[in-house]
Amino acid sequence: MNLSTDIWVWVGVFLTFCIYSFLYRDNPFYKFGEHLFVGVSNAFTLSFMVHRIIIPILVRPFTEAWRTAGSEGLSAGLFNPYAPSNFLVIIPGVIGCFYFARFIPGLTWLVRIPIALFMGYYVGRSVPAYLEGSVFPQMRGTMLTQASFDPAQGGILGGIFALLVLVGVIGTLTYFFFSKEHKGVVKWGAQTGIVFVMVGFGASFGFTVMARVSLAIGRFIFILRDALGIVT
Amino acid sequence: MNWERLLKIDRRVIFLTMALAIILPLLFPIRLTMGVQRVTRNLFQAVEAIDPARQCLLISTDYTPQTEPENHPMAKALMRHGFARRVPVLVNALYVEGAPLIDQAITEVMGDFNARATSREDSILYGRDIVYLGWQPPPIVPILAMGESITGIYPDDYYGNRTDSLEVMRRIRNYADVGIVVAITPLSSPLWYVQFAQTKYGVKVGAGCTAVCAPDFYPYCATGQLSGMMAGMKGAAEYEELVEQKYRTGGRLKATEGMASQSAAHVLIMVFVILGNVAYFAMRRKS
Amino acid sequence: MKDKLPLILLIVVGFMGLTDRFLPHPAPEHLNQYMRDTLLRIISAFALILGLGNLILRHMNRIRKKSTDWPHSYTLLISFFVASVIGLFGGVAGELWFPTRVGTFDFNITTIYNQMLIPLGASMFSLLAFYMASAAYRSFRARNWLAILLLGSAFIVMLGQVPIGYRISPAIPEISQWIMEVPNTAAKRGIELGITLGVLATFLKILSGIERSWLGSGR
Repeated sequence: MNLSTDIWVWVGVFLTFCIYSFLYRDNPFYKFGEHLFVGVSNAFTLSFMVHRIIIPILVRPFTEAWRTAGSEGLSAGLFNPYAPSNFLVIIPGVIGCFYFARFIPGLTWLVRIPIALFMGYYVGRSVPAYLEGSVFPQMRGTMLTQASFDPAQGGILGGIFALLVLVGVIGTLTYFFFSKEHKGVVKWGAQTGIVFVMVGFGASFGFTVMARVSLAIGRFIFILRDALGIVT
Repeated sequence: MNWERLLKIDRRVIFLTMALAIILPLLFPIRLTMGVQRVTRNLFQAVEAIDPARQCLLISTDYTPQTEPENHPMAKALMRHGFARRVPVLVNALYVEGAPLIDQAITEVMGDFNARATSREDSILYGRDIVYLGWQPPPIVPILAMGESITGIYPDDYYGNRTDSLEVMRRIRNYADVGIVVAITPLSSPLWYVQFAQTKYGVKVGAGCTAVCAPDFYPYCATGQLSGMMAGMKGAAEYEELVEQKYRTGGRLKATEGMASQSAAHVLIMVFVILGNVAYFAMRRKS
Repeated sequence: MKDKLPLILLIVVGFMGLTDRFLPHPAPEHLNQYMRDTLLRIISAFALILGLGNLILRHMNRIRKKSTDWPHSYTLLISFFVASVIGLFGGVAGELWFPTRVGTFDFNITTIYNQMLIPLGASMFSLLAFYMASAAYRSFRARNWLAILLLGSAFIVMLGQVPIGYRISPAIPEISQWIMEVPNTAAKRGIELGITLGVLATFLKILSGIERSWLGSGR
């Protein structure tokens, strides 16, 4: 055994046990850890946001433009939004401040402007990206073609597997298609689909077990190795 | 046998058994041989295919402390692979919560390599062999902007250096100079790279994901949109093994260390399912 | 004005994004770049600050009303303010004027992150490993053939993903891999296609101004 002499390691051990105490039952130590996590993680995010985004992207370009204007006078360059230091950077700053309008009665609607800009940009970009990146290639990947039976793709066996994927995709889509009653052909399609869905969910369960166990292993390695020095 | 009592066993007994299944293999380690999955091997080969003279490996991380045991070894294994092949490595963080974690990984892997280096050429130098670009929000912004200019969206690196002053950044401009982006994540960021960056700039994308999201990425591996994948801690262990076998980079193989515990825990959960079912059906038959 | 201006902004910005690939003219490209690199980044920073403001107000309310577990709100607020002072005035790595070191003891915001947030965050998520074990024992019942299929697939994948599965038989990881590459891929692809098409339909409704729930009530 080689106990750690780093006080922070023991703080980490204490906090780990605070959270693990929940396994016994809900208790003040767990609640303490939970609230501490929220408090510290938000402070951390705020600090990074201020030092890495607000100061370099908003404050610095503006103050530098101010300084330049003071020493060299106003010029058109200081109003060029693409210049590294410019006064126009204040506009996104003001739009960002509209978020706080929700606390000002009568001006709450202003909060919609930054939301509209953000959503508009994301939604507009996403439509072609989702089509080109997900829908078309995934549909193409499902198609059964002569190439599916190519010896390089696994030959006849590869072709059979590709056929299975095609049947599975159609079946799954049919199973989740609720606009038509599951009767006749649709029923058969849906029943085929649920077989694939169940196997898929089983696989997801297996992988989820693996994920959660890995996280617990990480914590125990920390306690046994970093704190207690029992394992090397 | 009292099946009802067995079914109503205190959950804390189950928790304790689970803890023991994890702890005992750590205390008494056994080395188990692993098979390497196709998806992991494909990722390894995609990194092998990078031309060190003109391309780089971009590791995009968006994991947080919550999934550190799964994702951290992936980032380190990839860095080791890049360093061993002398491929310049760029690292960015899509979420702020993970930013300092990556710094830790870089320090550790660089330390391992530099401890064995005998000359400046042998060493891993910051700015020449690796650059930590840091974090820029929101994720869609750097993903798109890196297609035009990496130094444009990351003017300063994580440590506050001007990126355009760093040696490697003089030849790495945008995705055209990136051999592959490997997104290490507990979320869907590999798909964001596929949808927003690959469709527009044609960059290759790989994934290093937590096991929870791995099943969702298999369809993308099948279409070749993802060049390969490390799925969970097992995927990380496989990648560590592949790098270690080929390059003997040394260092701590954290994912591999956990594989015996992982095996024991999986077996235990299967035993629980079987035992629970046996007790349930025996009780039902009795009643 | 209160509804129309945001709606027009959303539609204009949205269509700029949509047409980005078809308009390789420098002017829309520059505008797009400005939106992305400056506007969005600054707006997202303010959104976070708004979120923090809400969190603080909520916990101050909890203390004032003495709601359930209100003393813990003090833990949250005190830890938030102390860590914020350290982070804002000490810098992310202790490079600013606020002292973040006593002798060899470092307490800058990055150290606090490494030593407090990692143990807390990782432990919280790892709790699920224990609850999954309990759920596996109590809830997974092979009541019908579909449940048997689910459990069978889970067992093979669980064994195939760990070295012990390989030790039992090298065929287990192979079968596990086949499950992932064929039935799992088919199911996940079907689900993914359905979700993506649904999302796309919603996006198009937003872009065409049919879906307006994002505007809220305006109160």
